[in-house]
Amino acid sequence: MATAGEVQVPKFKLVLVGDGGTGKTTFVKRHLSGEFEKKYIATIGVEVHPLQFETNKGSLVFNTWDTAGQEKFGGLRDGYYIQGQCAIIMFDVTSRITYKNVPNWHRDLVRVCENIPIVLCGNKVDIKERKVKAKTITFHRKKNLQYYDISAKSNYNFEKPFLWLARKLTGEPDLEFVAAPALQPPEVQVDDNLMMQYSKEIEDAMAMPLPEEDDDL
Amino acid sequence: MSDAEKHAAAAADTEAQEEVVESPDVQFTPVVKLSDVVVKTHEEDEDAIFKMRAKLYRFDTEGKEWKERGTGDVKLLKHKETGKVRVLMRRDKTLKVCANHYITEDMVLSPNVGSDRSWVWNVAADLVDNEAERQLLAIRFGSSENASKFKEAFDAARESNKALAGAKPKVEDKAEDKAETKTETKSEEDKAEAKTEDDKKD
Repeated sequence: MATAGEVQVPKFKLVLVGDGGTGKTTFVKRHLSGEFEKKYIATIGVEVHPLQFETNKGSLVFNTWDTAGQEKFGGLRDGYYIQGQCAIIMFDVTSRITYKNVPNWHRDLVRVCENIPIVLCGNKVDIKERKVKAKTITFHRKKNLQYYDISAKSNYNFEKPFLWLARKLTGEPDLEFVAAPALQPPEVQVDDNLMMQYSKEIEDAMAMPLPEEDDDL
Repeated sequence: MSDAEKHAAAAADTEAQEEVVESPDVQFTPVVKLSDVVVKTHEEDEDAIFKMRAKLYRFDTEGKEWKERGTGDVKLLKHKETGKVRVLMRRDKTLKVCANHYITEDMVLSPNVGSDRSWVWNVAADLVDNEAERQLLAIRFGSSENASKFKEAFDAARESNKALAGAKPKVEDKAEDKAETKTETKSEEDKAEAKTEDDKKD
């Protein structure tokens, strides 16, 4: 039996699907490291990332299977879905075709994973030229999916898909995210030699302007 | 609702001018059964002496580019017993840690080119995701006034941490967590016992 210190953290397999370029990988990276990746590098096959969350019911991990959206990079499709316990289907609200393809992703998914909680996400709502209007988003009602407008760029609703899935998977409607433990950091002094090495990098960093986004500060 | 949300929500509203997309209420059989737990933040023994919303970046020294690390409240936390001050920052909503380090003597806040509301500094060991890593960080505030306030508090904390380290080199023992202290007490007891036995032998 596990002792108090090493309680088994519940892990869920989450399958993330949707057309290429809708922002699946960017969304995952945002949760992993906080960064917002602007460059588009098509995912090949699948990349699995554990995303951990602290909740008032303990830690949870979503083993997130970030799959290739582009057909030509798709690979083993069905293999990725096997034993999926929850899913996110993503489309881009600035691209109608990505919403039109949602039923195809859904069909493929539920053929392998029956009756799992699924969230439909319309990403990129920060962009002014929205093409898929809210009233046209109806697919989720027929298929019992949860829907969220999200923006990986502005972080709008970016935690909601995980929060909803966590509540459904645990049957705990009151589940909330809580402050993650912040252990005391180690104290390390930089010696002069190392500081010399760093000084060049610090100069580079000082001379490199921060990305100037329209700030939400 | 945070400003960010308001902003995004307003943007979405003005564009769509439509009702919120409703979702059906569906139930699933839970796959795990959990109960309430109290998650320790490890901030319990500290006072927040500074708190302000900011955006944090880390410098990718290879690609020579800034990467976002998180948006949320940056705090300076002063330990109630040791008096040492650390920087702690969590991301909005998920409350994950994105910066966590003591303010050491070598840390200098330098300006970032062309900005009057940002600072750059080097961290030897930033503890995030259970890994202490060297980072080059930059932080941006909403105004230059706020950035100045942060610098003032940061510089003061560096001086007080320095004074603590200089004046009382033994202060680190106190900083150890309770488990450590307990072990120490125990080992002292052991020593005491051993001594008693020695005494007996004598």
